[in-house]
Amino acid sequence: MRGTRTGGRALFVTVNLLFLALIAATMIVPLWNAVVVSLSSNFGSMQPGIQMWPRQFSVIGYKTIWTVLNLWQPFENSVIVSVFGTTIHVLLASLAGYALAQPLLPGRRVITSVILISMMIPFEAIMIPFYVTIQELGLLNTLVALILSGAVSGFSILLMRNFFQSIPNDILDAAEVDGAGHFYRLWRICMPLSKAGLATVGLFEFVGRWNNLLATVLLINDSSKDTLQVALNSLVNQGSAASSGELVTTNVKMAGIIIAILPLLFAYPFVQKYFVKGIFLGSTKE
Amino acid sequence: MRVLHSQKLTTPRPPLATSISKWRRAVPLYVMLLPTVAYFLILTYYPLVHSVFISLQNFNLIGNRPFVGLQNYQAVLSDPNFWAAFRNTLFLGASILIIGFFAPIVIALSLNEVLQQWAKRTLQMVIYIPHLFSWVVVGGLWIQLLNPAGGLVNAVLHAFGVPPVQFMSDPNTARWVIILVSVWKDVGFNCILYLAAIVGINPELYNAARVDGASHWQEVWHITIPSLIRTMQVVGLLSIMGLLRLFDQIYVMRNAVIEPKVDVLMTYVYDQGFTQMNIGQATASALLILVATLLLTLLTRRLVQFEL
Repeated sequence: MRGTRTGGRALFVTVNLLFLALIAATMIVPLWNAVVVSLSSNFGSMQPGIQMWPRQFSVIGYKTIWTVLNLWQPFENSVIVSVFGTTIHVLLASLAGYALAQPLLPGRRVITSVILISMMIPFEAIMIPFYVTIQELGLLNTLVALILSGAVSGFSILLMRNFFQSIPNDILDAAEVDGAGHFYRLWRICMPLSKAGLATVGLFEFVGRWNNLLATVLLINDSSKDTLQVALNSLVNQGSAASSGELVTTNVKMAGIIIAILPLLFAYPFVQKYFVKGIFLGSTKE
Repeated sequence: MRVLHSQKLTTPRPPLATSISKWRRAVPLYVMLLPTVAYFLILTYYPLVHSVFISLQNFNLIGNRPFVGLQNYQAVLSDPNFWAAFRNTLFLGASILIIGFFAPIVIALSLNEVLQQWAKRTLQMVIYIPHLFSWVVVGGLWIQLLNPAGGLVNAVLHAFGVPPVQFMSDPNTARWVIILVSVWKDVGFNCILYLAAIVGINPELYNAARVDGASHWQEVWHITIPSLIRTMQVVGLLSIMGLLRLFDQIYVMRNAVIEPKVDVLMTYVYDQGFTQMNIGQATASALLILVATLLLTLLTRRLVQFEL
């Protein structure tokens, strides 16, 4: 048996667990520290020393960020961009994935190549002409521009296509015989049978959009349209509270961080469940 | 379901008599593809082609845009800041690539030795958490932890009698902070890919090895690690594609003091284009980077014989 308990084995098991606990601690401690500091008073949060419990417990940090610094507006913008952007992304990826799953589609190989090649062009490398294009479309400084950027991706399309291809042909053929068109088959048969795929693509995209920094940095000049990440960056990492001129204490910064990660912590159990399957399905050969 | 099935047996698929009817039948499918194809043409390929033109122009956002030939490329290649960014990208990228490649393998193998399911699952979940966070959050957390005045790391060092360390204002330390935090953020993600691959290994292989009298280490070395090669290829390819894209962590964590040692190619493009408004030059450098990324990707794919 693998678990035979000799002395050497027991020592190894202990050292191994300690090693993993140490790694895990580097993930837990920063988070715990942020929670603790965010719940301290302004003065308490600025004190040096090892802090494992709130000093002078207070929610002033959260109050300041919500009322004085108006983080509410960027939060709302982030919700709008993430929700609408993700919905569009999942819909387009499903439509294209379904079409490309049809073996008889003329021109399938050409269209697939167009999509595959696009996966090799990172957004960062075309950020300037992308900016120029958005400007030409008259969409600079709008949330629409943020929703549109990344409206679909090659990875999501391939993933949905692979899910749809795994649906038994009998079911689809039968529906076709019954007179069901492509849209009906996609909406009523393929999508309900591919919930895991939709969840994978949706959660990936939601997390990606929620965390996206570059698109907003490029396309938005008007601070009332900033998303949470950009507003938080100028608050936390650049240490300036945009217009208010107020000293940003550490508890306020940490409160901002906690607000930014809360939605992700709710999504987390689902993300982990789906994404391994998704990664492998998305990267399998045609 | 049973009804559907029996119908299928009795009714043959309508024959695709002519190619015209084949195309007509595909119309709904083309409608489905239309938004996606339009998206890629307008917001990926058009900008890509456009950037070739921009890189040859003295580009102004408004007004004349005279063609200047290869002047922008000359300006980029003779700009010492570009080469500094190039060297920084190589150093930071290669370090992240190498450490970030081996760390998740070590952790996955180590996690695989944990026999209690609950401990394994909990550790795995905890190690994955930072991957979910944005670079703004990760940068903010670590800048605060490493802060010489009041940060937790320096408080711990202080308890051991170590004087405060200026982590983010010494360029050489800051480089390693950025490298290690980058690895830290993604280690759980890649780790889970390896664990999934380990679960998929045929248990017969281990049984056979045990019959042959293999030790535990021999099992890991001769069965587990070779079974991970396919995953190593995926992880390696994805990391190499990300190598020249380094942006967010630098944008978030840099400050005036460390910039010369941490600015990378993408922050160079951003600064040239949006801070200095040298759009032609910025686009020329972005194109050079894009070509380099494509070459690097193709080369790696050939080397590891990986097909998407």
